[in-house]
Order: sequence, then C-alpha cells, then structure tokens
Amino acid sequence: MNNEYDIALVEKYFDNELTEAETAEFRERLSSDESFKLLVDQEKVLIQGIRLEGLSKDLRFLKSVESKYSGTETIQIGSYRKMWYYAAAAIATLAVAAVGYFAFGPKDSTDELFAQYYEPYVNAFEPIDRGGVNTPPTARAEAFQAYEGKDYARAATLFGELLKTEKDPGMLLLLGNSNLMLGRIAEAKQNFTTLLNDYDELDIQAKWFLSLCYLKDGDLENARKMLKELGEMEVSYADKAKELLKRVD
Amino acid sequence: MTQDEIIEKIRNGGQAELGLVYETYREEFLHWVVKEFNCSTDDSQDIYQLTILVFYDNIKRGKLEHLVSSVKTYLFGVGKNLVMESRRKAKRNTPLDQERWLNEYLMEESDYAPTEQMIGNARKALTRLGEPCRQLIELFYYGKKSMEEITQELNYKNAETAKNQKCKCMKRLRKLFEEEQSRTLIETSYE
Repeated sequence: MNNEYDIALVEKYFDNELTEAETAEFRERLSSDESFKLLVDQEKVLIQGIRLEGLSKDLRFLKSVESKYSGTETIQIGSYRKMWYYAAAAIATLAVAAVGYFAFGPKDSTDELFAQYYEPYVNAFEPIDRGGVNTPPTARAEAFQAYEGKDYARAATLFGELLKTEKDPGMLLLLGNSNLMLGRIAEAKQNFTTLLNDYDELDIQAKWFLSLCYLKDGDLENARKMLKELGEMEVSYADKAKELLKRVD
Repeated sequence: MTQDEIIEKIRNGGQAELGLVYETYREEFLHWVVKEFNCSTDDSQDIYQLTILVFYDNIKRGKLEHLVSSVKTYLFGVGKNLVMESRRKAKRNTPLDQERWLNEYLMEESDYAPTEQMIGNARKALTRLGEPCRQLIELFYYGKKSMEEITQELNYKNAETAKNQKCKCMKRLRKLFEEEQSRTLIETSYE
C-alpha cells in the first residue's frame, strides 16, 4: 500500500514539478523499491489511457469534419435535412441502446451510464467563419466559437445573454449542453424543457438530452419514460425500438 | 500567418484550430496520397486524420516548436511514413485500424508497455470518473494546458483550486482503476 507521500512524489514527477532533491529521491526509490516502481508504472498506464481517450475523441471530431465534406460533395440540396435525419437516427439508436441497457445490461450506476452515453452536441447550426479576419466577430459568432473551443463557461454566458433577446432553438440546445458539461444539471434540465415546450424544432434532441439529465439526477422513472418516447417515434430504427419496447414491457 | 504563428495558434487552441488545420490541407493531401500511393479514398482519409493528430499532438507536447519547412511539407512527411508503416503492417493487420495505431503510437513514447487489458481498464476508469474530472485531467495530460488556462476554461476560482481538484480527480481515477484491475483479476480466475 503506497502512502500519500509516495503518491504526491509520483504525481509531481509526471507534472514536472520535482525539486532537485526530490528527483534524486525519486530515482533512488525507483531503482530500489518495487512497490514504488509499481506505483510509477500504474501512473504511466493512467496517463496513457487519458492520452488515448483524448486522441480518440479528436479522431471522432476529425471524422465529423470529414463527414461534412462527403455531404456537400455528393448532395448539395437538402444536405441539412439529411444531416437532421442522421442526427435523429443516431439519437433513436442511442435511445434504443440505452433502453436495452436498462432492461438487460449489467446494473451500472447512473453516473456511469451518463458518462458512457453523453457527448456534447456538435455545433451544426453556425459553422465558424475562419476566413473573416478583417471583421470583428459578433457576440453570436463568439458564443458558437467558445462552444466549439470547449470553453463551455463562456459559451453558457454568451448563449444565455443572446437568448434574452433572440429565440433560437439551436442556441438553446447548445446552452443546455454547455450547462451539462459544467455539471449544472438543473439549469440544463430547464433549458431542454423550454426547448421541448416553447419551440417547434429540435424536439428529438431535447428529449434525448433531457433523458440524460434525469439519468444524471438518478431519476430513472422519468429517464425511462423519455427514452421510451424516443424509441416510439417515427424515425429510423422505430421498428426495432417498438420490438424491444414490447419485450421490456 | 507564418509557420510559427500557425504552431502557436494550435498550441493555444482546441478542436476549432484542429478542424481549421484539417480543412486547410485536406484537399491537397488526399489528392497526393491517392495519386502517389494508389490509396483508396477511405484509406487516404484515415491516413490524413492520423497525420493531423500526430502533428497536433507533437505541437501540444512541445516536440514541435519551430518548422524548418512548411506545415504542408511536414504533414506530407508524416503522411508518407504512415503509409509506408501501414503497408508493412498490412500483411498481418488489414485494413488500417486507427484505434490500434493510436495505441501503438502511445506505446512508442513510453519505456513501459502495459497490456491492452490495462489500457482498457484505464479507459473504463476514466469513463466511470465522469465530468468535470474527466475533462480537467484530459485538458492537463492530453491538451497540455496550464493550470491557469484550465482555471479559465473550466471556470475555477484560481489555479490553486484547479490544481487541488486535479489531484482529487487523479486520486479517484487511481481508485477506480484499481477496482477495474481487481474485477479483471476475479473474472480471469473464474475462467
């Protein structure tokens, strides 16, 4: 069992914060203390895992950038409609998978399920203008830019301000996602509920993220209800969803 | 914008900058790979995505600070090596498996080679860790952001608070990893 001192020493080593004396101690312990070496190796595995996750996430992002090209290169008209169709299909698939997971899968905690299924929604509403260097960005452009740059705190502030004067379902969806990323579940829930009740667009997306808010709160009853509704919608995979829901019931 | 300015922009940026680089050199790179190495469109895209990730990762880790040539020349060089390498491995592993390639890429930078199962358990632990811990340690260990930058990005009170939080998150991650390792050990002993 390693003590707190050893752990702090190892962490400082990987964070490049060791003093000269600590470096000497680290080296000495590494060559003579097997349990200390195991601790160092474990830290290497964890950091490698973190880096692999980061690279995988960025790889998925590049694939989403690439998919925009295949859409515009092959289909010019209706590409946006097609994008929504794919988004709806993807959400329905996730909903079916999540319902199936609740019914048949191993019982993980709601936090674990949330972490497995939640990914912030991609900004599909206002692509960032990367060429316009001569004109100052509008508050709206800044908000989307902050969201794409993962600056969710700033994105939430800017979207919140903009939504006071402008009704925009896309911005509201991304505000909800920003709040979710910041761990502000109550606010996110409020955003998605408003999107669902006061707007005519993005209902499927609002329901999906609202179900994840319930999940994060441990409110399984409402999470199940919302996921079932999603599975029953007339989108791709609806037949499979109905079939699976019959079995769940 | 000079080559060094491009590097600086990427170092301080996030996915928006990554996307910008991807889109800037995409057409020329894909055309070149298809023509030069007779790759399929899908393969050339896979190669290009990994090439951009290596470029991005090298900048983030401080391995690439100045370019003697242009970004384009650098990318083409990385891309060529990647095609050659994937062709060599193709005999035993076709087509190019990007996830596996990334795993091997990370193995090469370390003097310790963990098993795939250990890396899998680390990733499971990371998934169980949840937000905002996961984002915090990813920004630090993968994004190579400073505590000051993380403070701003995740809205912490100050850098000290962010650092304390990072230590707590790592402590929790170690515990979750040990749980995953024990679970694997029990499952293996029952097989």
